Amino acid sequence: MITVDKLGYTYPETARPVLREIDLNVPSGQFLGVVGPSGAGKTTLAQALAGYIPHVLGGEVTGRVEIGGLHVVDTPLPDLVTRVGMVSQNPFNQISGAKFTVAEELAFGLENLGVPRQDMLIAVREVLRRLRIEHLAERSPYELSGGQQQLVALGAMLVMNPDVLVLDEPTSQLDPAGSRLVFEALGELRSRDITVVLIEHKIERLAEFADRVVVLVDGELRMDGPPGTVLAAPELVEWGIGHTRFTTAAVRAGGRWPSGAALPVTLDQALAGFGGAR
Amino acid sequence: MRPSVKIAAGTLVVLATYVYLVLERPGVSGIGALVALAGYLLGSVLIILGATDRLSTSAVALVPVAIAINIVVGQLALATGIPLYLDSIGIVLVGVLAGPAAGAATGALTCVIWGLTINPTIMPFAVTAAEIGTLAGLAAMVGAFRRPWWAALSGLLTGIVSALVSSPISAFVYGGATTSAGTTAVVGVFQAYGNTLLASTTLQGLISDPLDKTVTFSLTFLILLALPARFRQRFAFARSHRVFARRVALEA
Amino acid sequence: MATLDFYQAGRSRVHGWNPVTKLSLSLTLVVTAFALPVLWWPVALLVLVLLPAVLASGVQRRFLATMSRFLLPVILLLFVIQGLFYPGGGQVLLTLGPLSVHADGLLFAARTALRLVVLTGSFLFLLLTTHPGDLMTALVARGLPPKISYVVSATLQIIPAFRQRAQGILQAQRARGLRTDTGLVSRVRALVPLISPLILGALSEVDERSIAMEARAFGSTARRTSYTVIPDSTAQRLARWLMLLAALTAIALTTTGVVS
Repeated sequence: MITVDKLGYTYPETARPVLREIDLNVPSGQFLGVVGPSGAGKTTLAQALAGYIPHVLGGEVTGRVEIGGLHVVDTPLPDLVTRVGMVSQNPFNQISGAKFTVAEELAFGLENLGVPRQDMLIAVREVLRRLRIEHLAERSPYELSGGQQQLVALGAMLVMNPDVLVLDEPTSQLDPAGSRLVFEALGELRSRDITVVLIEHKIERLAEFADRVVVLVDGELRMDGPPGTVLAAPELVEWGIGHTRFTTAAVRAGGRWPSGAALPVTLDQALAGFGGAR
Repeated sequence: MRPSVKIAAGTLVVLATYVYLVLERPGVSGIGALVALAGYLLGSVLIILGATDRLSTSAVALVPVAIAINIVVGQLALATGIPLYLDSIGIVLVGVLAGPAAGAATGALTCVIWGLTINPTIMPFAVTAAEIGTLAGLAAMVGAFRRPWWAALSGLLTGIVSALVSSPISAFVYGGATTSAGTTAVVGVFQAYGNTLLASTTLQGLISDPLDKTVTFSLTFLILLALPARFRQRFAFARSHRVFARRVALEA
Repeated sequence: MATLDFYQAGRSRVHGWNPVTKLSLSLTLVVTAFALPVLWWPVALLVLVLLPAVLASGVQRRFLATMSRFLLPVILLLFVIQGLFYPGGGQVLLTLGPLSVHADGLLFAARTALRLVVLTGSFLFLLLTTHPGDLMTALVARGLPPKISYVVSATLQIIPAFRQRAQGILQAQRARGLRTDTGLVSRVRALVPLISPLILGALSEVDERSIAMEARAFGSTARRTSYTVIPDSTAQRLARWLMLLAALTAIALTTTGVVS
């Protein structure tokens, strides 16, 4: 579904590339986690996948990004938005401001694409239902909590029925209640036929959701594999990404963690390991 | 109609309105007010339509932020008791970054929104605000925002033109009166010395506008200086007209 | 609602009118008030059209309060200044030392004041009874470019957040001992640390805001459709044509000199 081939990117007015030689293939329906220290280029990678780089932010792209066979750099954004959507960190800035109610805000993209009104009504109702925000339909998007706004931002992408959804630390500016709302919605997405790329520093959440995790450090992909392997790798500490509480506990437990067993990244794995040792 | 034709037609309508009002000096009949309102309204609408047509999405995203800046800073200035309006910093910012057309649209729409939210009596002055954005953009085009003194001087000139453009509205629509006792009294004093109403409102404007715009342009210059270079070069207008001096950040 | 300063929600029939009908009414009232040089004409418009419409929509309290806040000082000053200093003079009604009150000046003040009441009142009526979102939707349906509708809608909605930030910055600066007492130059200078963070912060959001629009295909060249449909009726369409006719008639009557 996503094919990235030797992707490099340099921002306008700067010399140093932010992304270098990135190769990545994500098959349809996969839930990919991306981790990396701050400044590694995670947001830039997300924007390159969604086409905002170079279409909105400019700069120099080398290599190729393809979404469902469409060459991102060569495809105008209005043709891309039905293939790939993105949710970023700041909920306030993702509300378009064009509309005064949540339902209209969700419909905004469809209006711009010229979708017939009957189809819009159905699509908006479906997204409101899936995200369980029917009760917010007539509210102003600016009067909502951060978590609710983030759901609206997610819904505004889902309503255009994209094949790929890129989420760039969608809960980093939310309180715990807001984060829970967003992760519940992501859990719902997992059961759908949609390819998800989730950039997240709460790596325990990735361990729970992701089929596969890649590590981005200093603009380069350094590691790629199943979450159990990647998230427990010792290098993660040295790169400033850290481990889950469960991995840390097992490492600190020393001899009490069964020798030969893989380090845990989820609560269940930790319980199983420690249970077996006792 | 092509966007540039709309802008040109709008500007012509505004100029023709001003010339008619100054030459004809319509008296107590409401025709003067009607011509002032209709001419300026039609002119502003044409300019807004033509200008927004050409705006990139980035520029369109900049405009609401700029208008919010105008309104909030204008109210802050009021709150801190400074005898200046300072309600056009956002207009000048857009004019300098995104060009005269974008500046004009920002100006006119600032008045529309000010009217929609705070005070509807401001709306007829949309054309003055459009003029400020246009002149800020033109000043940036000829390089006035590369040096602080040039920026201040272009503010002074813009203020003089503002006084001229807004005086027919003050005179014919509002009869020289404003919510401020001070400015209204000044108009009265000029009339007492035998000036016509239009001349009196013009002279009153010439007392307050040039100072306000000089300060506004200077402040905007300082703010632009503090912006990261990446943002200053974000808009095609600023890049292609080399609006900013290359090493401006080092001189500060 | 905090975001919309004038709109007063209601269930009256006037609230349900198409915003374009109300806009046409406002424009027609203003044009005829200014076009016809008859002193009592704006009074007739007020009593026969504007006030009944305001009463029918149930917004009279805010209407009167807002009108007096905006216009009372202006009108008061208008009468004082023009009564005393209106060029030409005319009959002297009253002499106060070196100053004298002239009939022509008072007449001019009265004309201007009555027209101002119609001008402000008409638009206030529109704003009080029409949700800005509905106004924009109705205007876009009639050909207003979506970019303009976007700018108006987005600005109205982000202003409250900006005001909050400005308040925060103002309080922080006051806590640090911002001086607001000295001369003009130092007061303007004191404003710089106040407004720079506000403006720089706001500008840093522009990229994300343009992404938010591009992500919804705002740059699309497709023929746009509308999720919301603003109701209209044949009666309203007819009314709009009649209002246009009335406005044109008023202008014609004055310019041909039939009414003077």
